[in-house]
Amino acid sequence: MDTVTSYTRFPTVRIRELKDDYIKFELKDTDPSIANALRRIMIAEVPTLAIDLVEIETNSSVLNDEFLSHRLGLIPLKSERAMEMRLSRDCDACDGDGSCMYCSVEFTLNVKCTSDQTLDVTSHDLISSDPSVVPVDNNLAQDINGFDAPEARGILIVKLRRGQELKLRAIARKGIGKDHAKWSPAATVAFQFEPEIHINEALMESLSLEEKKEWVDSCPTKVFEVDPQTQQVVVVDAEAYTYDEEILKKAEAMGKTGLVDIISRDDSFIFTVESTGAIQASQMFINAIEILKTKLDAVRLSFDTEEADDQFGELGAHMRGGGM
Amino acid sequence: MGKAKMNAARMGSGGPEVVAPEQLLDLMGPHIDSFDYFVNRGLQSAVQNMQSVEVVHPVSNVNLRMWLDKPVVNRPMKDQKDGALSLDQRLLPTECRMGGLSYRGSLTADLCLQYASGNVVRNSMSFGRMPIMVKSSLCHLRGLDGRKMVANKEEAMEMGGYFICNGIERIIRLLIIPKRNLVVGVKRATFKNRGSAYSDKAVMIRCVKHDQSAVTLRMYYLNTGGSNLGFSLRKQEFLIPVGLIIKALVDTSDREIYEQLISVQSGYDKSTKGVVGSQFVSQRARIILEDVQRLNLFTRIQCLQYIGERFKHLLDVPASYSSAKVGEKVLEDYILVNLDNPRDKFNMLIFMLHKLFALADGLASPDNADALQHHEILLPGHLLTIFVKERMQEWLYRVKALLVKEIEDKPAFNLQDSTQVQKILEKVPASDVSKKVEYLLNTGNLVTQSGLDLQQSTGFTLVAEKLNFLRYISHFRSVHRGAFFATLRTTLVRKLLPESWGFMCPVHTPDGSPCGLLNHLTAACLISTDLDARGLVRQPLKIRKAVTSELVSVGMLPSVLSMARVAPPDFLTVHLDGRIIGHMRTLDIPPAVAHLRHCKVAKIADIPSDLEVAYVPCTSAGAYPGLFLFSTPGRMLRPVKCLSPQDKGALELIGPYEQAYMEIKCPDGTDGGTTGISSYATHEETHALAMLSVVASLTPWSDHNQSPRNMYQCQMGKQTMGTPCQALQFRADNKLYRIQSPQTPVARTENWAKFNVDQFPTGTNAIVAVLAYTGYDMEDAMILNKSAVERGMFHGQIYKTETIDLTRMRRKGDGIVNVFARSDAAGGPKRGAPPVQNSNFVDTDGLPYIGQTLVENNPYCSVLNTVTGNAKMSKLKGGDRAVVDFVAAVGTGPKEPMQKVSIRMRYGRNPVIGDKFSSRHGQKGVLSQQWPDIDMPFSAVTGMRPDLIINPHAFPSRMTIGMLLESMAAKVGILKGEFINATPFQKCAADSKSSHKNKDESLVDKYGKQLKEYGFNYHGTEVMYSGVLGTELTCEIYIGCVYYQRLRHMVGDKYQVRSTGAVNPVTRQPVKGRKFGGGIRFGEMERDSLLAHGAAYLLHDRLHTCSDYHTADICVRCGSLLSTTPVIQQKSSAAFAMGLGSSKESKVICRVCNSSRDIELVAMPYVFRYLASELAAMNIKLTLTIGNG
Repeated sequence: MDTVTSYTRFPTVRIRELKDDYIKFELKDTDPSIANALRRIMIAEVPTLAIDLVEIETNSSVLNDEFLSHRLGLIPLKSERAMEMRLSRDCDACDGDGSCMYCSVEFTLNVKCTSDQTLDVTSHDLISSDPSVVPVDNNLAQDINGFDAPEARGILIVKLRRGQELKLRAIARKGIGKDHAKWSPAATVAFQFEPEIHINEALMESLSLEEKKEWVDSCPTKVFEVDPQTQQVVVVDAEAYTYDEEILKKAEAMGKTGLVDIISRDDSFIFTVESTGAIQASQMFINAIEILKTKLDAVRLSFDTEEADDQFGELGAHMRGGGM
Repeated sequence: MGKAKMNAARMGSGGPEVVAPEQLLDLMGPHIDSFDYFVNRGLQSAVQNMQSVEVVHPVSNVNLRMWLDKPVVNRPMKDQKDGALSLDQRLLPTECRMGGLSYRGSLTADLCLQYASGNVVRNSMSFGRMPIMVKSSLCHLRGLDGRKMVANKEEAMEMGGYFICNGIERIIRLLIIPKRNLVVGVKRATFKNRGSAYSDKAVMIRCVKHDQSAVTLRMYYLNTGGSNLGFSLRKQEFLIPVGLIIKALVDTSDREIYEQLISVQSGYDKSTKGVVGSQFVSQRARIILEDVQRLNLFTRIQCLQYIGERFKHLLDVPASYSSAKVGEKVLEDYILVNLDNPRDKFNMLIFMLHKLFALADGLASPDNADALQHHEILLPGHLLTIFVKERMQEWLYRVKALLVKEIEDKPAFNLQDSTQVQKILEKVPASDVSKKVEYLLNTGNLVTQSGLDLQQSTGFTLVAEKLNFLRYISHFRSVHRGAFFATLRTTLVRKLLPESWGFMCPVHTPDGSPCGLLNHLTAACLISTDLDARGLVRQPLKIRKAVTSELVSVGMLPSVLSMARVAPPDFLTVHLDGRIIGHMRTLDIPPAVAHLRHCKVAKIADIPSDLEVAYVPCTSAGAYPGLFLFSTPGRMLRPVKCLSPQDKGALELIGPYEQAYMEIKCPDGTDGGTTGISSYATHEETHALAMLSVVASLTPWSDHNQSPRNMYQCQMGKQTMGTPCQALQFRADNKLYRIQSPQTPVARTENWAKFNVDQFPTGTNAIVAVLAYTGYDMEDAMILNKSAVERGMFHGQIYKTETIDLTRMRRKGDGIVNVFARSDAAGGPKRGAPPVQNSNFVDTDGLPYIGQTLVENNPYCSVLNTVTGNAKMSKLKGGDRAVVDFVAAVGTGPKEPMQKVSIRMRYGRNPVIGDKFSSRHGQKGVLSQQWPDIDMPFSAVTGMRPDLIINPHAFPSRMTIGMLLESMAAKVGILKGEFINATPFQKCAADSKSSHKNKDESLVDKYGKQLKEYGFNYHGTEVMYSGVLGTELTCEIYIGCVYYQRLRHMVGDKYQVRSTGAVNPVTRQPVKGRKFGGGIRFGEMERDSLLAHGAAYLLHDRLHTCSDYHTADICVRCGSLLSTTPVIQQKSSAAFAMGLGSSKESKVICRVCNSSRDIELVAMPYVFRYLASELAAMNIKLTLTIGNG
């Protein structure tokens, strides 16, 4: 049918800001459902690596084994490889003990405090068997005074005092945030509908300068400004608008209903993505699209054949409920 | 505050260590200081006040007098056998806790023997081992700094104040008792039961001696106009006409007594303020004197003899005593024992009569015996002092009794032979004294003959549970009204009275049965001890001299001058600790009071800084007027600010009795509604928080909550899983709860830092959204973010310790048979022994590997019987997974094999559906779902998903505005990176200059403005999007940060499920109780509801098929259920003879009808058969009629 083609849209992405662990972009010409699907996948389904199995040989620290293992699990690991790796439960190269290169990475930690000073055991002390999979180290900047900046010291695991020792072997595995939050690569993924702001200039002119300023100040985020030259109210940052309707309420209170008209566009989204450092923020988005695509493929194909389910292996598991 | 010095001693001279701050140590002060009194001075004075015993040999006429002297309690030391080789003989508290021992030091005293008036022979006696309070002056931990504390395996902030009994920390609870040496007038209908002449009016005084022993003296008003005195002796009340006692006390004339009595009868109109005497007084005085005359007693000696004759057989006095001497003894030991001078006693009795008459005539109102004004606190050390005194006295009496018996039985017994006497002494075990004290501590039961003038004999001690810091600290601050009052029907005693202001927390009391009876002292409340502000022992005599001379200088007439007609309303009596020290012109008193207060604050002369100065002014038919001064220990005290020009701003300690007659204003700068009178105020409250207890003062903005919610928080704060202690590694408590990553609250009160609560935090700052989402937050349920939980929120553990003691398995006389070992230990497995399968769990020493995970039925300890070679395994019970946390060998000497171990298990307790959580505002809820992070609503601006969702319906009816404020303020705090001061009543604190500027600004405005500065909505709301749909939620969501507590009630400990399982052997019905795998009763009402639904099949299934289904054979002919029996019959003897097997056939016959016909099999509940048998046992026959109806 012809009409169907008219629904076909070609979403566009425009990147506003790009850092290793941060990306801000516009997603246009699509539905909220797609935007939300991407958000959900980035948080819960983009795979990363995280420590999943800990064998403790010696632990005379003040933290008990479970506590320590939990802390180790939460350390973000550089997971560029994660997309290619296998989930250990689907791995046929090993018998699930996590000692194969396809599904797991081994870490060792062997620290003993021999001095009178408290020893901080950090993520730097974790020795990886795979140089590409290491604990995230966001900031290598050294303090000018020669002391380590707090970030450069790595992520604190436990503190040891004289005589205490920690010796363990840990295995990192691939996983998704749906199974456990430690596998989530996303610190924050948020999107908002792009606002469209129309100022009723005629009505605005009926306000005095004082009133304009008062009205402008009523917005908690600085969306509007009074131009010092023209003394006109202008929109300086439409996206700062949080749909809190403070200014609408203010306009109403001033008896100027309809002073401004704000429409939220439901086909244009501004995404803010922050990564834990496990994967680059941009890569996270790309992986999310990849996963969404394979999921959609799986849905499409599974209509045709029963076998398609098995054909997609891991993806089949995703579809059947994330393989919980 | 003057206690600084004492605390410095308690704290030691530590460096910049983590030490308990002074405020915290003050909380334990009453316990520790009073125990110090007990061991350092109380015992000594108790022993001095004890009755010596005399034994006279009837033949040889040898007179032996015995008494005790020089009692000494020593520091806790190890048993000789415990650690013969160890250099350090000290027994440390941590060893007691781990080993289940008691922290005790030996109690010794000299037994003095004196023959006639010869030389005194001293024998040092051991009275067993007395429990020692931790951090008291005898404790090894006294004065150690934080670092040394840690070195001794203690908390750095150890505060002490408790005893260790068999490894359990127990404390003696503070009890409310009537204020000592204060005459209280009461009206009680029960007084009439004492006799026909008795009215319902009486005055009483609880007299306390220097050694803390008390005798309550009651003076009853008789309808005849006379009066009787009453006191208890061996739990029995004795009543004596008051005239008799008055005459027996001093050599005086009837004329003088009469004059003294009618001195109150002034010529004033009855309506004049302060008139206490009516025209009846002279008649009554006559009646009182006539009462004595009727007994034909005229002189003092006659009176004494009369009393002596009647009490001789009741008292343990030497036979040589004359009646008059016994009479004197009675007066000394039972009448106004706080006074030693008979003249003082005489004056006091006259005063009591005046008060009694005023009460009878309605010229003075009765005092409210339930008001805190007339109360003081029974301190642990004081209880121990009087208890030990009685036990020691009892021991002496028993020694005497045994000696007398020995002399009677064996005339050859030589009293002068010390070895023979010694033998008798050994028969009465002196260590009983300490054992009884230990029994008191372990059970809380007071075993006494005399009753010790206390109203209860049980409930004196409690366990100091280390559930969390708040609960722990509350034990030491809790004050009980007395077990007797718990049984009362009336709720009058539970009422919160204005007299309690500032001393008892109005918020912190449990709801339910102990409500209002179990109160908590306010954080600022102190209790006076026998030490003064400088830490020196008080000298009552010095105080009396100083007070008297100060008062004389401002116009008091000392009581040495016996004067008639000095009585209210012109003159008022001046009392000091129940002694009349003089009279004062009424007009002179207000300036004199001001002078005394100045002396208190300025520490002039020997006036104690905590002297209670209560001026009861003249009123018409109000409280009986007078100036009452108190300097004794056991009084509650609190600091208030002076407003008088000379001491402006200085802190004065006041008591509850004087408080009722003082004008103390609030520091809010207003007149408190007393327009015009406010200039009266002589004092000002120090802080608005001063009225709250430690726990109540930690609730943020409690002044914005509905009051019962604050009460609930006080309870829930004490049930929170938190940080019980820092020395967790060295503790062997039965059960300890702990959360893994606790946080300090962002919004907190000033007292949070003051009491160092940060050392033991109890909760987590959760991002809380208030909305109805998914429906799983209905009815006080709450939703937690699954990812937040996975990241460690509210993760926790339970530690359980099990002690395995092999000495208990040992029979007397046996050698050591059982040892900790695996069955294959000591030279390989025995021949034929089964291979060891438990080596994965238990090491060769019979103990588990530390860090080993155990599931149900896994062994964790092996005890080997060396004789039989059998090993007995202890197996893990319960379905929970445990990890071996710690194993300790306990009390093992160098030579003995190990006989006692304690094994600590760790159980993971991360949040699961059904666990209980609460904010700090009495808003508790149950976790209903752990919702996936992606499905939670998210904020468009920050991308935040809440950790926790609660339903908005939790607010309107409960009105916990404090929680909403906390949410908003903590949000600001997070944005700013600052802690928020959430102290309640901040507006009332006049001295807080910081918030002076915007005093009238509401908190919402204050924090709303700041939120706006950070680009957030003024009202704390945010626009949120549905996590499932990605669309904007239709309304803005109130979201912020609230400190949440995880409560100790967890489904893991509570869930109960049963399909089949254990049954009661008698009824064959399912048993009850979670422990036994039992069910929950399906009761009458449940049955009714199924009936009402018509669910008959279900009913049958539940109550019969799944319960005690049974089939019984019934004889239709006789209808009996019990007479049927299966019998085994041989089919035929021929077949049997041929040796063919299986010829037996079972058949049921009725033994009554003797037939096997008409027997039917009927299904019935088994209890029915049981009923039939029970009835049969009572000779009642139960007949069933069977038919196809």
